Amino acid sequence: MSSTRGPARRRWPGLRRDAPYLWFVLPAVVLYGYFFALPVLQAFQYALTDWDGVSPDYDMVGLDNLTRAVSDDSLFTNALTNNLTFLLTVVVVQTLVSLLLAVLLVRNSRSSTFLRALYFVPAILSSVSVAFIWSFIYEPGDGLLNQAWSAIGLDGMRSSYLGEPGMAIVYVGLVQAWAHIGQLMIIFIAGLQQIPGELYEAADLDGAGRWGRFRHVTWPLIAPATAIVVSYTTIQSFKAFDLILGMSGNPPSRSLDILSTRLYTTYSDSELGYAAAQSILFMVIIAAVTVLQRRALRLTRQEG
Amino acid sequence: MHLVSRGSSTRVPASPTLGRRGFVQLLGAAGAVSLAGCAGPGSDDPGRQSTAASLDADASGDVIFSHWRAEDQSVFDELLARFAETYPDVELTQDIAPSADYQASALQRLRNGDSGDAFSTFRGAQFNAFAEAGVYSDLGDLDLVGSYPDELATIGQSDGKQLAVPYQVVFLDPVVNLDLLEKAGVSEIPTDWDGYLAMLDALRGTGAVPFGWPGGDTGNLGQLVNTMVMNNAPAEDMFTQVGAGELKLTDDWFVTTLRQYAELAPYMQEGVRGTLHDSLLQQFAQGEVAIIASGSYAIAPSRAAGAEFPMDLAPPVTVAAGEARYVGVHNATFLLGVNAASENQEAAVAWVDFLSQPENAAVYANSTAQHVGVEGVTYENADLKRLERWLTADTLLAPRFQLLDLDVQAAVDQSTVAVVGGTSPEQAAEEAQAIVDQQIG
Repeated sequence: MSSTRGPARRRWPGLRRDAPYLWFVLPAVVLYGYFFALPVLQAFQYALTDWDGVSPDYDMVGLDNLTRAVSDDSLFTNALTNNLTFLLTVVVVQTLVSLLLAVLLVRNSRSSTFLRALYFVPAILSSVSVAFIWSFIYEPGDGLLNQAWSAIGLDGMRSSYLGEPGMAIVYVGLVQAWAHIGQLMIIFIAGLQQIPGELYEAADLDGAGRWGRFRHVTWPLIAPATAIVVSYTTIQSFKAFDLILGMSGNPPSRSLDILSTRLYTTYSDSELGYAAAQSILFMVIIAAVTVLQRRALRLTRQEG
Repeated sequence: MHLVSRGSSTRVPASPTLGRRGFVQLLGAAGAVSLAGCAGPGSDDPGRQSTAASLDADASGDVIFSHWRAEDQSVFDELLARFAETYPDVELTQDIAPSADYQASALQRLRNGDSGDAFSTFRGAQFNAFAEAGVYSDLGDLDLVGSYPDELATIGQSDGKQLAVPYQVVFLDPVVNLDLLEKAGVSEIPTDWDGYLAMLDALRGTGAVPFGWPGGDTGNLGQLVNTMVMNNAPAEDMFTQVGAGELKLTDDWFVTTLRQYAELAPYMQEGVRGTLHDSLLQQFAQGEVAIIASGSYAIAPSRAAGAEFPMDLAPPVTVAAGEARYVGVHNATFLLGVNAASENQEAAVAWVDFLSQPENAAVYANSTAQHVGVEGVTYENADLKRLERWLTADTLLAPRFQLLDLDVQAAVDQSTVAVVGGTSPEQAAEEAQAIVDQQIG
């Protein structure tokens, strides 16, 4: 008897030891479970049904919702394509510009502190305010941007911006980047300030130029900050719901429809089961893109 | 028995043995119980009263009026004060949700009776969704229904029951600056397509943009399609038939409509596909745009933006002279209903009845510069007076709201944007129909 129970007890001795303390974390676990884990589990439950969100009746449809989204819904595919374009625009522009600004403003001087504050200002605006401001900048008639083009004699650059089917999502991506560059610049500055000055001195002694110092010292050592910036930007790009709705209305035009707005439209069309299936795919896509990005970043660092 | 932690001499109190498998099982069981306990597919309906309570002069208690019109808060406050004089024992408050969230958020709360003893809905998809969810009580036996003309009252009916009454009437027709029209030498709005295009040519001579269309504003760009199809379509319920797969967007009537959009395009403003309604309103108010293609709801904000010129409706009649069945389009919206799950229906009915009395409806109409569905109202607002004749004209109930699926509605709207942007009408129609086919299965 004792020989059979002994190994079982040894399996997880830490848990038995800490059992009394688990009660202390229980409230947090319950709250997390109820408000975070449970809705996710429910999404899986709903995704298997054709529930409209209000009726007492529903039918189990198995995996039909998932297969419909993947193979038979051009609107979902269009939203995914738009979202990836948006993601690419935001990640590239936001990461590069915030890194450039961070490198330029890393020294603690009065002017750089002022400029950091200035670039950070858009980050404290709500997405709706940002959408409102940029709607008027992008306005095709008397919008600020078109006026500026005309003022410098470049009338050929005038555009309807959000009315350009192929480019509209890129223009919104630039707005998203504008709004968050200052915030990510701060993360990069924090990363840059952690790099010991001796490394740059050593690089100088080895004859490294500005690019060499950046490539062999700065870039590898700000990798953790870059990983944070890229991951944050990726997730943010998939969740840019309020900015899109603010600039395009609900439902957005096809050229501005991204996955989060697609989910909302499906939900508004009383297809909660299908919206739940789309949200599961949404989670999987975000996870996949994030993993791919982290791997790509790791490869870049190894090469550096 | 005491357990001693590894690497430490600290003694901890005894606890029941909990293996990893047991722990996981416990979590799983907790999850299953929680899932089962949560509302979800198959939730039971709460108890409901399907027929509204009768009007009670002694109504009392707390009532919540749910709606989305934040811009009407002050006029409703004024009406609430008047209501309190008649029903001093009723404590009525407004619960205002943004219109974009209203359907998603309000419906759940209404179903539970947590909010919205009296509430409003949009005509079309929203009214249908709320009706299907069973949140309305039947107002059919109440006198207040008699305050609305029969043709409008039918809008609030579903399955033979009078579930709501349409409080607001708007004309979803383009609005014209009459000063510019006079300057262009046009004395009357043409009632045929060639005449309409000739009018736009004449308006171009004034230096203003003849026809402003908010092609980048998904909430407003679709209003024009109402008038564009009213005389082209083979039936009044053309979009219901499109949604049912009985008519196609590739049929002649819709392709012809798209061709006419293409004919309108040269008269529209620069960058039309990206133009927002608010921006267009400013240009219209400043006399830079002669016609704004949205609806009568554009008049009040134009006045607020400084417009002092007289305005009228200028619906495009897309057929030859003498062939028009309709001269314009109207819509009845802001449908008022009483919640079937309300615990205080008498007071909610009293509020809807109060709003439906002509003298109170007049307060609402003149303050909001919108016509109302209530009969016998005296309009004092100059714009409402000028447009009052349209209330009795041969106008069609806005057909776009027959499209109950947002994606189908967007497909129709976007086909018009595509054509104005240069896509051929045939191709735009095919692309739109492909989405319709996908959505209706």
